[in-house]
Amino acid sequence: MASVVSAAMPRSQVDLVDFVDWSGVECLNQSTSHSLDNALKQGYRDDDGLHLESDADEQLLIYIPFTQVIKLHSVIIKGPEEEGPKTVKLFANKEHMGFSNANDYVPSDSIALSPENLKGTPVNLKYVKFQSVRSLTIFIEDNQGGNDISKIQKIVLCGTTVDTTNMKDLKKIEEH
Amino acid sequence: MVLEATMICIDNSEWTRNGDYSPSRFQAQAEAVNLICGAKTQSNPENTVGVLTMAGKGVRVLVTPTSDLGKILSCMHGLEIGGELNLTAGIQVAQLALKHRQNKKQQQRIIVFAGSPIKYDKKTLEAIGRKLKKNSVSLDIVDFGECDDGKPEKLETLISVVNNNDSSHIVRVPPGPNALSDVLMSTPIFTGDGDGGSGFAAAAAAAAAGGMSGFDFGVDPNIDPELALALRVSMEEERARQEAAAKKAAEEAAKQEKEGEQASSSHDATMAEPDSSSASAVDDKRHKLTDDETALLEQALAMSMDDPKSTNVAVADTDMSEATADDQELAFALQMSVQDNVKDSSTHSEMSKALEDQSFVSSILNSLPGVDPNDASVKDLLASLQGQSEPLQKQNEDKPENEGDK
Repeated sequence: MASVVSAAMPRSQVDLVDFVDWSGVECLNQSTSHSLDNALKQGYRDDDGLHLESDADEQLLIYIPFTQVIKLHSVIIKGPEEEGPKTVKLFANKEHMGFSNANDYVPSDSIALSPENLKGTPVNLKYVKFQSVRSLTIFIEDNQGGNDISKIQKIVLCGTTVDTTNMKDLKKIEEH
Repeated sequence: MVLEATMICIDNSEWTRNGDYSPSRFQAQAEAVNLICGAKTQSNPENTVGVLTMAGKGVRVLVTPTSDLGKILSCMHGLEIGGELNLTAGIQVAQLALKHRQNKKQQQRIIVFAGSPIKYDKKTLEAIGRKLKKNSVSLDIVDFGECDDGKPEKLETLISVVNNNDSSHIVRVPPGPNALSDVLMSTPIFTGDGDGGSGFAAAAAAAAAGGMSGFDFGVDPNIDPELALALRVSMEEERARQEAAAKKAAEEAAKQEKEGEQASSSHDATMAEPDSSSASAVDDKRHKLTDDETALLEQALAMSMDDPKSTNVAVADTDMSEATADDQELAFALQMSVQDNVKDSSTHSEMSKALEDQSFVSSILNSLPGVDPNDASVKDLLASLQGQSEPLQKQNEDKPENEGDK
């Protein structure tokens, strides 16, 4: 599944942007002119001119609640080579985190993005840790070039919803 | 109307003992704090405000963010002056207090009163400012008291680092005859971003100028919210009681009945037919309804002075019209009860005669929407009405029969 061509999604996974509860989406330390919508919302995220930028320093804390419980399979994070994120920690079902306690909790998954990933290759997550996710917190700790500002062009979350999971499809995917 | 949690950082260092603001810097600061608390809670009832002191033995949180104004005001009493201002620690503790606010949807804001000189360098202040900005906390600074070299610039840098979309402000208040709170009222700290507390600020300004003339009952609801509330509640209760008394008197007036044309005029009003008479009656009713209170009061007074005639028609109008505003059947029932009471008294024979007139009654019923005069039950009622009217004038046994009829 990881060797799939960059833009294509693994079988039976859907783009979870439809299940995002937009009223609760928050992003700490984003710059006002370059906000989270540029990276997350359909239409905006495909526009290369619009990106999400950090403000006071290079860290970003993104909180995304969902309208229903989902399983998260993989993420795609696109960004420029130098300012794109490097260390990304994901927390499932942790509400209202701050920068101070971002390092206190053990992340559900921690990924180090390579320049390949920044071009759009999906990163597979520890699926078992994201089996019933009501909200996702993405903590971007630093970026590729160690700059003061991190930039992200696109964030795509791939997974399935718990309710509409088709059991037959699941059996086919699981090759472990 | 922004939903906000605010932490106010008070400077109670030795420098605030100075009297260049009347009565002393510290007192002026305390008044300003009171006003700000009031403004915040008024602009949005879910806003919370907390207070901490920065000098003295150390940074001390007096009250965590709460919407209870009384608690905040009471903790301002008995504060001691002393020590030195610890700005960085104060802001950090304020940030922590805001982080643990109960309603996470509130925006975070810190208001700092800086009356003493700032001993920190710009770098430290910038680092703090950046942390505030990162956690999306807005900062307001009130610069008063000491003005040593570098203080205004340091505070300006701090604000510029924290400022995000003009949500942070700095206000410099020079010493002088104007009270600190008055000067603050016109600033964006009070008025918020855009609208918000400006209405309150205007009222407070009027109060300060005219000696509390702007408030109801002559009591400042911010200084004494419980008293103001108690006064308001008792006023409303009194009003409600008077209305109830007036209404009762009105109903009694309706009992003391009237000639047929009075009844018909009231019926016309209830049906709101497009008649000229009803038009005037409706106007009359409307007029009466708008001056509801005063009219009812007048009628009650007139009633007690035993002057039924002048008030009866209007009262009957309001009484009947109120009835049919709700429900046609209710109106009918009311009419029935009126008729009952009518029959109880000997002077009501005229009314019952009018009702005896079958044709008159059926014409009225015809015009009542929702009542079909050919309906069996209606016919029964009419028949019973007729049967009742004669014996009633002689006996008093109408009541059980009436209930049976109903």
